[in-house]
Amino acid sequence: MAQQPLPSSVQPTDVYGGDEVSAIVLDPGYINTRAGFAGEEMPKQVLPSFYGHITSSQRDLFGDEVIIPRADFEIRNYMNRDSVVEDWDAATKIWEHALINRLGVPRPTPASKNGLNNKSKPAAAAEGEDVEMADEADLDETENYEKPMQENPLLMTEAAWNSPKQREKAIEICMENWACPAFWLSKTPVLAAFAAGKATALVLDVGGSNTSVTAIFDGMVLKRSVQRSHVGGVWLSSQIRSLFEASEPKVEVVPTFMVENKKPVEAGQPAEARLRTFDFQISPSFRTYEEERVLTEFKESVVEVWRGPGRYLAQGNEDYAKSLPGRVFEMPDGSNQMWRDQRFKVAEGMWDDHAAFPSATEEGKITKAQTVPGLIKAALDAIDVDIRPALLANVVVTGSTSLLPGFNDRLNHELTAMFPSVKVKIHAAGLSSERRFGAWIGGSILGSLGTFHQMWISRKEYEENGPGVVEKRCK
Amino acid sequence: MTSRDVHDVLNLPSDHSGAPRPSKKQKTSAPRPNLKGLAREVQNLGGDNPIAIVPEVNFFKKRRFASRKPVAKWELKAFTNSARGDDGALVLRHWKRKTDDGAPVEGAQDGEGQQQRGEGTPASERKEEKPDDSAFAKFNVQVVVPHYTEEQYHSNLQNNDWTKEETDYLLGLAKDFDLRWTLIWDRYDFTPRPPGGDGANGDTSTAVVPAPKQRSMEDLKARYYEVAAKMMAVQKPAQYMTRPEFELYEMMQNFDPEQERKRKQFALNTMSRSKDEAREEESLLLEVKRILARTERFNEERRELYNRLDYPATDSDINSFKSSAGLQNLLQTLMTTDKNKKRKSIMPSEGVSPNSAVPNSAVSETNPANRRESIAASATTNNHARHDSDVRTPATPADPTPTSAASGANKKKGGSAQQPPERRKLTQQEEQVYGVSYHDRLGSGPTFRYEKINKLYSHKSGQQQLRITNALSELDLPPRLVMPTATVTAQFEVLWGAVTALVDLRKISDRLDGEIKIEEVKKAERDRAKRILPEKEKEEKGEGEKAKADGGGGCGVDGEKAGDKKDGGGDGEKTQEGGGQAKEDGEKKRPGSSGSLTAAGHKRSASVLSAASDKSAKRHKKQ
Repeated sequence: MAQQPLPSSVQPTDVYGGDEVSAIVLDPGYINTRAGFAGEEMPKQVLPSFYGHITSSQRDLFGDEVIIPRADFEIRNYMNRDSVVEDWDAATKIWEHALINRLGVPRPTPASKNGLNNKSKPAAAAEGEDVEMADEADLDETENYEKPMQENPLLMTEAAWNSPKQREKAIEICMENWACPAFWLSKTPVLAAFAAGKATALVLDVGGSNTSVTAIFDGMVLKRSVQRSHVGGVWLSSQIRSLFEASEPKVEVVPTFMVENKKPVEAGQPAEARLRTFDFQISPSFRTYEEERVLTEFKESVVEVWRGPGRYLAQGNEDYAKSLPGRVFEMPDGSNQMWRDQRFKVAEGMWDDHAAFPSATEEGKITKAQTVPGLIKAALDAIDVDIRPALLANVVVTGSTSLLPGFNDRLNHELTAMFPSVKVKIHAAGLSSERRFGAWIGGSILGSLGTFHQMWISRKEYEENGPGVVEKRCK
Repeated sequence: MTSRDVHDVLNLPSDHSGAPRPSKKQKTSAPRPNLKGLAREVQNLGGDNPIAIVPEVNFFKKRRFASRKPVAKWELKAFTNSARGDDGALVLRHWKRKTDDGAPVEGAQDGEGQQQRGEGTPASERKEEKPDDSAFAKFNVQVVVPHYTEEQYHSNLQNNDWTKEETDYLLGLAKDFDLRWTLIWDRYDFTPRPPGGDGANGDTSTAVVPAPKQRSMEDLKARYYEVAAKMMAVQKPAQYMTRPEFELYEMMQNFDPEQERKRKQFALNTMSRSKDEAREEESLLLEVKRILARTERFNEERRELYNRLDYPATDSDINSFKSSAGLQNLLQTLMTTDKNKKRKSIMPSEGVSPNSAVPNSAVSETNPANRRESIAASATTNNHARHDSDVRTPATPADPTPTSAASGANKKKGGSAQQPPERRKLTQQEEQVYGVSYHDRLGSGPTFRYEKINKLYSHKSGQQQLRITNALSELDLPPRLVMPTATVTAQFEVLWGAVTALVDLRKISDRLDGEIKIEEVKKAERDRAKRILPEKEKEEKGEGEKAKADGGGGCGVDGEKAGDKKDGGGDGEKTQEGGGQAKEDGEKKRPGSSGSLTAAGHKRSASVLSAASDKSAKRHKKQ
């Protein structure tokens, strides 16, 4: 029986050691918060960690679709730039919104009501209006579903440098507010390594607000190896801003929502667009958020990493880069321009601190130790020499900023130059979604494993030991 | 038209192409049954395998309603995981195929299901209150970490560097991380409690908090292995351990942190090695390998050479080659085989004895007056063997050795064998090195050196031969040389000459003694007869004594004087000359090349002297 392929009805559901208990995986990050069921290959819900706050009525709005020009509207983020939760009230709300309203985790409410709610929620979300109803959500009903996630164990991710206090807070919310039967807290680099199929790996996570290098050994983070810097997507955006400032003529970033209509213009010509006017004040945070979208598009379509060998500033490389075909980028207001060597130069700061654009703010500055090669070197220096070759043979690249074209080539060149006598192998998922959601996918794998069930921190354990149990268990 | 024709048309290989056509026709047509309602041509199309006739079926396959089972039902079943160790406090739910009577139809890997089925109906009842155990619980394994009690610790595990608390902490970490040392070291963060305890003495505020020690991974390992090995020995004395247990015990006991540290340092250096350095090291390694291979080859060649020099052990009778005629015969056969090989020399590199010796002899017959050179074959090879390493490389390729030159010149027969004018004179040392020697004349054909000695022997009378052998055995020398190289033979000849001279002298002195006795007898008779002129007789006797004393001394020191007076004077001179030559040879010889020979020479001269003095002493005694 074992030799023959089984028909689908007889096939064991627990092939590959899988045993799904409808666990939920929640992966909060600075840019996005990902949520979905364990065992699936992509997170069902990806919503921005930025949320809208209406100052006049003190209401919070969640989701991408609600972030539109409004009166008294501010954009906030419940995470700080270190990818650690800062505003726990907002965090709880946004997670609830993601898990309960959007993921549609069934609630133990009366069947009639339940069915109604389930239907109305996605419809409301799709229209993009009245989502505030979610957090209002009929107070009596809220009381009814006191334990909204009674059925689902929750696997949450955290940054490798998360503090014990933060971790305790996370389990508290999970257990007290949502009444999860079980909880687990896992570090993002570990999960990213799992997503790449590795238990021992050197994880380079180039994310939105952070770039971190972490050594994973047998599925555990080596604490001494954790290195991070702010050289991530946000920093890259600031570099692009510096580039726009420095270019002649200055490039003005006009976010999409400002443009009412536009006419095509020649490259390098000033834009001919009519801008929208609003009868209320647009808050700077909202404008910044919208500008960031434009810059993200610029990153995705123009910016490229100098592939090497050698640095971009090395002899002859710059001239060669100038001779390469450029790329045209059209701003939302219609003005467009060809970008040639600049598109390499913008990202070079990640590798070479001398090549970074000078930044006005303290945050934008960068030292040698904060570049990607510097981080890797520091991380490897902090760990035992015996496992360094094993780690270098399993370099896992994750994070959406690593999707810049040429990133892996450059990384390979830098690493082979740094460690000439060791075999360096880079594992970077080919699918962009796998690169973006590496940690979530790893969590999805872990949460659906049959052997993982013995790891969960159960409700009983929490009740016996208090929130401190998370420090004891999730090492 | 047959199937064969069809095969031909379609260019298909027929089943048995070799078989002739008509016979096959006969074969196939005979047993075929005649089917009704089918033309013969059509039947023939089938060839060897007749066309199958299938009965017509005009109804569809029946649907098997009977086998259709109701849709498989799945249920959300609660389960626990015994590996958690919390007595089923966590109940999770997963989807499983619904089963009818407690016998689950789950995957084969569900071992628990099998068990339950065996228990029968009570299991299904029990299931109501107790959920299943997870199939994955069995995969939970844990390492065994040594345990110890308080006393055991105090009696066995005391260590100045480690407190009990820290040891406990280490073992706890080892258990938590399943002995993965990288992780243990990474998470090792032991902060010792202040010595005052929980403020029992109230001086915790003043107590100095000891700084946490930085432990290297080797320290941790060393301590753990120490504890583990000791506890192992406590639980089970070493002599009762099984083999694998003892191996483990020994390994843990012999853990050397220092060595580990060194190894890591080395690994670090290797890792930080640049590409160029690595390449250089690689090339150096290659070089070493090449050198080793070369010496290996060189040794191989040398061994081969030695083998060639070895006395060939023959099991056939060599008596036929002992005479010169037999040797000539052998040479002829060798020559013919040589010619058959298109004039390729038998020994191309060495060019030794028989080959070159024959033309030499031929030349010597044509113009015997010519003072020619030759190679003393075996002596040369002996020399070669010794100086092989340093001589061959510079000499052979640069200028042809005299050996080959000589043999080349001698190949041209017919008197015109003039030496090439450009041949340079060899210095004495070179002659020594190349083993070149000059001879006045040589007998025809090859001779063995020891035969020369034998010849000397054969000239002597049996009595003298016996005496000579006695004298030689007195000197611890075998009558026949073990290794008759040129120098050894020369030395032996010298020695032999000396021995012969001694023997001759002794003979003479014996004869003189006899004569003296006769004279004395005569004198006594004369005395008896005459009894007159006693003084005259006395004078004569004194003269004889003087002569005797001179002869005795002459052997050792002043041979010429004694020789002049005696018969064997010529021999004595030779001895002296030979001795001088031997000394010269010894000086000329490269140091170490024939140390034994010179030593033998010295020994010889010394022993000869002593023998001579012995004899003179004896003579004195006799008188």
